[in-house]
Amino acid sequence: MRGTPMTTTKDHPGTADHPGTGEPAELTGPPAPRRPTGRFWRAGLRRGGIELRHLLRSPKELSGQLTNVVVALLIASYVSGEVPGTSTPLSHLVLAGFAAYLLFQVGLISLPQMLVTEREEGTLLRLRTTPGGIPAYLVAKCLLVVVMAVGALALLLAATALVADGPLPRGPGGWLTLLWVTTLGLLAVVPLGAAIGAVLPNPREALALIMLPTMGLLFTSGAVFPLTAMPGPVQQVASLFPLKWMAQGLRAALLPDTARAAEVAGSWELPMVALVLTAWAVLGFLLAVPLLRRAARRESGSRLSARHRRAERSGAPPG
Amino acid sequence: MTSTAPPGPAPASPPATTAQPVIRARGVSMAYGGTDVLHGIDLAIHRGEVFALLGPNGAGKTTTVEILEGFRRRSAGEVSVLGADPERGDDAWRGRIGLVLQSWRDHRRWRVGELLSHFATYYPEPRDPAALLAMVGLTGHADQQVDRLSGGQRRRLDVALGIVGRPELLFLDEPTTGFDPEARHEFHLLVERLARDEGVTVLLTTHDLVEAERLADRIAMLVGGRIRACGSPAELARRAAARAEVRWTADDGTTRRERTADPSRLVWELHRDADGPIAGLEVRRPTLEDTYLHMVHREDDAPAPEHPDGTDGAVGAEARAA
Repeated sequence: MRGTPMTTTKDHPGTADHPGTGEPAELTGPPAPRRPTGRFWRAGLRRGGIELRHLLRSPKELSGQLTNVVVALLIASYVSGEVPGTSTPLSHLVLAGFAAYLLFQVGLISLPQMLVTEREEGTLLRLRTTPGGIPAYLVAKCLLVVVMAVGALALLLAATALVADGPLPRGPGGWLTLLWVTTLGLLAVVPLGAAIGAVLPNPREALALIMLPTMGLLFTSGAVFPLTAMPGPVQQVASLFPLKWMAQGLRAALLPDTARAAEVAGSWELPMVALVLTAWAVLGFLLAVPLLRRAARRESGSRLSARHRRAERSGAPPG
Repeated sequence: MTSTAPPGPAPASPPATTAQPVIRARGVSMAYGGTDVLHGIDLAIHRGEVFALLGPNGAGKTTTVEILEGFRRRSAGEVSVLGADPERGDDAWRGRIGLVLQSWRDHRRWRVGELLSHFATYYPEPRDPAALLAMVGLTGHADQQVDRLSGGQRRRLDVALGIVGRPELLFLDEPTTGFDPEARHEFHLLVERLARDEGVTVLLTTHDLVEAERLADRIAMLVGGRIRACGSPAELARRAAARAEVRWTADDGTTRRERTADPSRLVWELHRDADGPIAGLEVRRPTLEDTYLHMVHREDDAPAPEHPDGTDGAVGAEARAA
């Protein structure tokens, strides 16, 4: 999962010699138990499970998911007509774009918001002061984000397919495309979202700072309106960002092959989808690892209280 | 290993126990952009000792503690905490330290018992979460969501989280702010038990003198980035009381006052001169609080040459009049 690279970079060499950490090496996986990595993984997964349970119990989160489903159903039943030059319903094209947007926003809106909030509340500091806390935190967050994204996607596809004859992949090829586009799409946005969450100042400003560009991309990336409706320069700018390619990849997975006639290039451009998303994934990791480390390192009690004071009203920095 | 042994008014370094101090700081200074906030702090805190760092807001308590916790880089000086430099403390080192901060607001959605059990899993030999909940008096709240706890309950949960990994060293930052008297009393008993029975070293920061006196084996008064006095509460009180104030009403009806190290002699002399009872006679010894307040208000004075360990020698000896 996404946690692996970040987790291993947290390993400090030469810590195994300390007395007091003489717990049994329950690690059955890789040999040479230099440190109790297994425990961190287990703590992280357990943590992810608990956070997931909290999420499922949270009315705010549930209503958010429900809203997504309702929007999807509205799209499915109100968008009429067909993709120009094909017999594919236009609503399928829009739903594929909306699905891509859901993945995109889990990585680039929900995740940064969680990170910023948990930085402000002191969760990150608490884990920083706990042995193995930061790796466990990252494992937990990855688990959470993946389940949230996949859950949202599954819910959307299932609900629209059941109620409104929505799109589903055709044949194993379509499912395979859905799988890799989703995976690569998440890899492209999750590290990036983590990097953003590591630098944004506080939850209130964070939302404003993230929402605007994200909404901009939503409308310009051909996720909801066909890209061909956009002026050329806008198309080119949108092509730099992952959302356009995630939407295109999901269309490839969800729409019949004939619908590719409506694409800008006249084809799904799947190699390009893979290339752009991989590039974003690499960039995201390169940014996320140092920024998360910096964020964790900078946490301290006085910073925390200073943030709380500022949160209550804009006040003076710590003394 | 010997524990506690409240140090006498010994010179420079605290008692010559053979064990290495849990915390040792020498000449620790801190400057932010040209402004010095700490001027050469020296500390030696031993195993099982409850040490209070007392001072007004802005005196440098937080900075000092965060340097010791490894959250801040010092500008100068040497620090060793549990045998390691905090700036290079690794995970195993972290695991031996417990932290109770003022401003934790984390894990609001978690349930109390769930949170404690979860954090127990990070440590090799954790305390039993249920026993720990009982210890801090939160057994009845195990299924409650963390953000529904009162301020005092939340702090007690923080204490439980701070000691779940059986730390050898516990940092407590203003631990009883917002406690009611009973909760505060319970908390004090808990800290004492940790230190006496389990040899946990406790570094407490507070601006509450009463709490410091009640809990600490030794108190260091930090004012303006310097340790102005350091010693056991009794010692500091004795030193504070060394100069008593005698007041009386003179024959002309005016109130007179005189400061002296030997109030008994002054009173005797007054009686001898008056040859009878003296109106409005009063002998006041400054309390530790008076001294503390005095020091705090003197903050802007020239750097006090007083030794960090507070043994401005002579005063203690000549003081014993009453």
